[in-house]
Amino acid sequence: MDGVVHAVHFLKGVLMVQRKKLQQPIGGQLDKKSTKHLACKLWNQRQLWLMLLPGLLFYLIYRYGPMFGLVISFKDYSPFLGVFESKWVGLEHFERFFSTPKFWELFRNTLTLGCLSLCISFPMTILFALILNEIRQKKAKKVFQTISYLPNFLSIVIVCSIFIDLFSVTHGTINKLIIQFGGAPIDFRAKPEWYYFIYITSELWAGLGSGAIIYLAALSGVDHTLYEAADLDGCSRIKKVWHVTLPSIMPTIITMFLLRVGNIIRIGADKTLLLYAPTTYEVADIFSSYVYRVGMGDHDYSFAAAVGMFESVLAALILVAANKGSKKLTGESLW
Amino acid sequence: MKHKKKLTLFDGIVCLILIVFCATILYPLLHLLAVSFSIGFHITANDISIFPRGFTLESYFYFLENQSVIRAYGNSIVYTVVGVICNVLFTVLTAYPLSKSYLLGRSFIMKLILFTLFFSGGMIPTFLVVKETGLLDSMWSLIIPNLIWTVNLIIMINFFRSLPLSLYDAAELDGASDFTVFRTIAVPLSKASIASITLFYFMGHWNSYLIPILYLHDKAKFPLQVVLRSMLMEDQVEGLGQVVDISQLTPTGVKNAVIVLSMIPVLIVYPFVQKYFVTGVMVGSVKG
Repeated sequence: MDGVVHAVHFLKGVLMVQRKKLQQPIGGQLDKKSTKHLACKLWNQRQLWLMLLPGLLFYLIYRYGPMFGLVISFKDYSPFLGVFESKWVGLEHFERFFSTPKFWELFRNTLTLGCLSLCISFPMTILFALILNEIRQKKAKKVFQTISYLPNFLSIVIVCSIFIDLFSVTHGTINKLIIQFGGAPIDFRAKPEWYYFIYITSELWAGLGSGAIIYLAALSGVDHTLYEAADLDGCSRIKKVWHVTLPSIMPTIITMFLLRVGNIIRIGADKTLLLYAPTTYEVADIFSSYVYRVGMGDHDYSFAAAVGMFESVLAALILVAANKGSKKLTGESLW
Repeated sequence: MKHKKKLTLFDGIVCLILIVFCATILYPLLHLLAVSFSIGFHITANDISIFPRGFTLESYFYFLENQSVIRAYGNSIVYTVVGVICNVLFTVLTAYPLSKSYLLGRSFIMKLILFTLFFSGGMIPTFLVVKETGLLDSMWSLIIPNLIWTVNLIIMINFFRSLPLSLYDAAELDGASDFTVFRTIAVPLSKASIASITLFYFMGHWNSYLIPILYLHDKAKFPLQVVLRSMLMEDQVEGLGQVVDISQLTPTGVKNAVIVLSMIPVLIVYPFVQKYFVTGVMVGSVKG
């Protein structure tokens, strides 16, 4: 249920833990105790295990439980019979899903949205970070930055409400401007061709500032002697950005790009459920929103679970493929 | 700086872009605020920019008289406070043992946890597990199924690992138990990291709407975001319409008043916590 940005942070975390594991030598603790018996070691760690237990139970029940719950996509789940007693139907739900035109519609919409986000939000975030980095007065920079990530603190419901009002045909600011310039008002929300525009602009409005934080952190680490050398060569500001700043943060850009590509179809339902309207379903409906409607609306649990499973498996495969491809092409890898 | 650099055209353009950008960020927020303080006539006429017209507090009074919105506000506060306490407590408790490289089975447990980042059962099977464990339609359905966010767990694990080992060694020589070391050394030293994850959990709870609409059915238990969502979806407010004069009070005005009030807790903490937000994002990503 987390948005793309969160998924990005999640996966960055994985990367970091894995690297740490390689760097950190095995602690002295192990040597001290390695002579002791296994049971004795466990007894010594009893307090640590006690602390770990609730968290471990959480992961087993609420993270691994649903994975095993996916068996219902091969069954005809009935709430009265329960997961175990329900009848096996094999791949019936998957066959039904793949044979409908809805499958291609969802596939196309999810991919379109993911690609638009990748092609627009991703470079815009980097551009924003670069522009912010060019401000030399520390105070001004801080003010701009603080304002830029303010929307990140607003809930998705508020962001969508703001954008629906902004583009509203009756009381929207955009239509007021259109009328002032002599145009005819447009019902943006009911028009499928404007749906992606609203989705992406709201994503930019809410996420640009917070997305830039990672790049700004990388930018602050750029070696200053490089700029001095560029100054001696008589480089202009734009040339310095292009030849010094950008190459310096390239590793971060590549990693983030990789994560975005890997998560391209992993789009949460929350925003779509708020922004779409029956007239825009044909372009707006994505896997996750469809799963929500079919599962929670029509109570067709097994079919919805099958659609969800297809999405999860595909997303995991894309991530692995993106990583493999990157390892081959650039030598950069997530794990 | 050795020599003072003079402001160039480049600086001017950069500054201009950022001012325009910040204006586009702020304009919708100021407009929202203005609408919430305006009378219905001007909202319908659509002639409000960033200053209220026909100043009135009607929309806010409506909020104060509306039991269901007040109750939702209270629910949100309770869910957020209890939720954040549980989240932070169990995240820190789980992270500490996992930061010890000598913990038996550590790498296996880490793999188990990290795998959940790549693959999940998805919405429907998770819903069924929540249902089977009897949490449906209770406050705990919003808390227990998302007790630990893996990214926050990783932030804490990495922080605990970054503490110098010598700190622990001294305490262990004194015969302190793991729990004592955790309580007296590890937790007090990690206040900044704990503040970061607290902020993430706070925002998660206060702003979430999808999880409540999945797991709660009883309208009396709805948090504020769900009530806001129904105002947004129906473009109308329950009970409004037949009783009031549309030239005074409109659904948009009421909705915006509720939005403004829902932002208050966030705006109060924002100046104090935004530095933890920045460090949290950075710790959770590039550092390590």
